[in-house]
Amino acid sequence: MTPFVFVGICALFAILGISLLYKNQRLKEINDKVSALNFSLGEMDEQAKLIMRTDMELNKAQEELDKKISGLDTLQKLSHEISTTLEEKQIFKKISNQHVEDLGFEKSLAFLWKALEREFQLYLCIGYNQDESAKIKTAINANKDYFLDLINKGSTVSSEFIPEGGNLSINTFNHLFLVRSFIICPVLAQEGNQGFIFVGTQNAETAITKGDQEFISILANQIAQTLDNARLFEKTWRSQQELELKVEERTRQLTQALEEVNKISKRKSDFISSVSHEIRTPLTSIKGYAAILLTSKLGALPEEIRSRLEKINRHSDELVHMVNDLLDISRIESGKVEIKKEALSLKTIYDKIADLFSEQFKSKNITFSNNIPDDCQEILADRSQIERVFINLVGNAFKFTPENGKISLNASHSNNHVQIDIKDTGFGIPEDAQEKIFEEFYRVDNTINQGVKGTGLGLALVKQIVQAHQGRIWVKSKLGEGSTFSFTLNAAK
Amino acid sequence: MNVSIGFSQLKDPILAANEAIGQATVGLKNSPASLAFIFTSTEFAHPLVLKITNNLLREMPILGCSSLGIMTTHGVFKHGFAILLISLNEQTFFNVAAVKDIDKKNPFVAGSELGGKLLFGFKNVPRSLSIIFSDKLITEGTHLINGLQESLGKSFPLIGASASDSFGNRKTYQYLNQEILSESCSGILFGGKFSFGFGIKHGWKSLGKIRYITSSSNNIIKEIDELPAVKLYEEYFAKNRKDLAKELQRISIYYPLGIYLPGEKEYLLRNVISIEDDGSLVTQGDIPPNSKIRLMISTEDSRLAAAVAACEEAKSNLSTQKIKFLIVFDSAARLSIFGRQDDIELHVIKDIFGHDTPLIGIYTNGEQAPLKSINYLGRTYFHNQSIGILAIGEQ
Repeated sequence: MTPFVFVGICALFAILGISLLYKNQRLKEINDKVSALNFSLGEMDEQAKLIMRTDMELNKAQEELDKKISGLDTLQKLSHEISTTLEEKQIFKKISNQHVEDLGFEKSLAFLWKALEREFQLYLCIGYNQDESAKIKTAINANKDYFLDLINKGSTVSSEFIPEGGNLSINTFNHLFLVRSFIICPVLAQEGNQGFIFVGTQNAETAITKGDQEFISILANQIAQTLDNARLFEKTWRSQQELELKVEERTRQLTQALEEVNKISKRKSDFISSVSHEIRTPLTSIKGYAAILLTSKLGALPEEIRSRLEKINRHSDELVHMVNDLLDISRIESGKVEIKKEALSLKTIYDKIADLFSEQFKSKNITFSNNIPDDCQEILADRSQIERVFINLVGNAFKFTPENGKISLNASHSNNHVQIDIKDTGFGIPEDAQEKIFEEFYRVDNTINQGVKGTGLGLALVKQIVQAHQGRIWVKSKLGEGSTFSFTLNAAK
Repeated sequence: MNVSIGFSQLKDPILAANEAIGQATVGLKNSPASLAFIFTSTEFAHPLVLKITNNLLREMPILGCSSLGIMTTHGVFKHGFAILLISLNEQTFFNVAAVKDIDKKNPFVAGSELGGKLLFGFKNVPRSLSIIFSDKLITEGTHLINGLQESLGKSFPLIGASASDSFGNRKTYQYLNQEILSESCSGILFGGKFSFGFGIKHGWKSLGKIRYITSSSNNIIKEIDELPAVKLYEEYFAKNRKDLAKELQRISIYYPLGIYLPGEKEYLLRNVISIEDDGSLVTQGDIPPNSKIRLMISTEDSRLAAAVAACEEAKSNLSTQKIKFLIVFDSAARLSIFGRQDDIELHVIKDIFGHDTPLIGIYTNGEQAPLKSINYLGRTYFHNQSIGILAIGEQ
């Protein structure tokens, strides 16, 4: 081996050694990098786990929030629909599949306790067929004491919580209602029937939350309140029905009585009419003979006889007048008098009355005045009949007004009517007699009236005539100050 | 081709069927209907409903299933009866059929039997698409699809859905003519002049380390990274097995497992439906051994973006053709996650296809659709938590 070769071999080993060292170094570096990468990957995987867990919590929160919004929305809709219902069965008909689903369940039942039948009756059934609901109803009534106890205690039961001491377990409930999660909440009506509402789901993933229980509790309260309202409405409605029946009965009785009164009134009118006719004929003869005797055509009469005959004549006149009034009242009451309405000037009527009573007014120095405004110059009335009203009322005023008194005729207009007031400064009418003076044959029982002649038929006749004109008559009076007789008539257009 | 949709929410199933069929018939004007799809909520799944439907439609072929919810142009409804009446061109051919008692038979054999029935009369007719509706309780759905593909062809477009129900009933229904079926699969095979576009997406993104299925059998994952499969969820959610079991449905739909598929933009999702005593996870659909899996997470935006992408894909498949109607296969899990915003995906679909495009949809417990990547040669796979849009067009 030449030195050259030896140096070469040494150099080669040196290069190989350096290269090996370098490779070892690189390998170490790569291993370090792989370790670092693995470490990073491990860290990233841990971060991924954190992301997953956080995301899961966020999704849960989102689902819970969605459920709450959906629940609130459903409760709001249901509340509105239920609260407008006033019939017990209709209240439960307002709850639909969609409402129950929006609350996060697919099955729902409602039972109300019927004390009379001593059993729970089914009012709502969603998500069960007829056979299933019948079986559940039977099972509930078999355990009615348990459910009545729940109602009495106001306890809410759910698949998350069952009060201790009961003989029914969560599994029993699940088996009975064919669900995996459920809530039973009492419906505590104050007035109406009490009961409970059940909601449930077969979805094993649905866990009952506090929020779910609150929603069902709100719904149960809403139902209870509406049941109370329905019961109160039913009570009010029944009372109203009873009242209506009573009113109907009373009206029928009054109608019968009125018919009876009308019959009697007609008989009375017929009787008066017939008697009056019968009386008038002999009366005419009496008056005729008295008048003939008074003319002395049958020979001179001694003064005593004359004065007696004059009395007979005068009383006969009064009797004829009374009979005529009675006949008139009778005719008007029975509708035999035809009222022929025409436009009449109030001023003209006033003038005529003033002229008629002028001598009498002078005799007692009574002032007769009028106040007839432009808007009530004309009335719509039967001339002959209405003049009798004016004559009667002004005549009465004259009779009861002392010397130097005042009588006035005033008119006012309102709503197509003219109100006429005949006011005097006479003795006045006692308050207790004011209503009665329009009754036939009624005369105020006092000393003043005893001095004034009258039949007690004038005001009754006046009332009949005014009413026959679709008017109204009344009096306002104060003893010692005078009276005002007012009546209404249609205004002429 | 003419189509018309009728929908009724009347409580009486007979009256509802009558009302919906009336609406659809009027909507079709004078075109003769050739075929009807009916989708109903579970309470409408009654033999009388099918009988009256069959009578009213004069024994026209009927296909459909029950669903947790129904989607129409007017909204998303949890209860009701929906019908899609189609008047097909003379050049379009179809055949309807069903296979019963799938779990009692071998699902693969059942799939093959259904394929054979569907192919009846299609000897010289070019085939286009098959749509199937299966029971959600069929545990070996993948084998059913494999059997179907054995008859129809491995790359033949096969789209379908597992019917869904409210979570408690545990029973779904499939409709064929006047028969109401359970634990069955009904289907239709279209051929001749028939155009369609399809898109399916979910919107879940992977998170955390890649894991390996070290032991599995069909839809049961026994071990992940040589540990009992349930450990994955226990670790990630810091819950013991008992608590995890309580919240499994919620956790599983929010955070499903994703199977990595080379070449595909999205992972293939698998819901966990139960935990076995030995810590195995039972999933909705098969997971092949040695699969790379990850836990998946989504946001509202990512889910909506997926709906948009599915619509765009279906639309682009039809390019210039006029879209006549849409059938939507939307996962029931998505409906549950969107919660109060249950019609948010409907708005997305209407915005893309126009508000006048007739639309009918169901909520599903698993969707069947082909994968897009060339690696999979158009083979149909079983999907979870996805939205599938089937757009039918006409040249």
